[in-house]
Amino acid sequence: MSDVAKPKNPEDDWKIWLVVNPATWLMPILFTVLAIAIAVHWVVFAVGLGWSA
Amino acid sequence: MAEQSLSGLTDQQAKEFHEQFKVTYTAFVGLAALAHLFVIAANPWW
Repeated sequence: MSDVAKPKNPEDDWKIWLVVNPATWLMPILFTVLAIAIAVHWVVFAVGLGWSA
Repeated sequence: MAEQSLSGLTDQQAKEFHEQFKVTYTAFVGLAALAHLFVIAANPWW
């Protein structure tokens, strides 16, 4: 296993798509980003940093 | 069956998709940074 070439990033970043097929996973990835954004906004408003902070 | 990637994409397709992914992601980060600057201008959280 140790003879596997180590990636050099960011130039090898594109190779993620040789493992993860965007036709299958792009929308789940985008919905996960949306869920994280909603969670962060929820916490920010919950701790009182909302509009009227 | 020729050498196929785990995702089934060819190197060319993966590079082509990644170019668009970088553009969209850069726009997302740009917009988020802008939104944070508006919040800092209107109501800094520190």
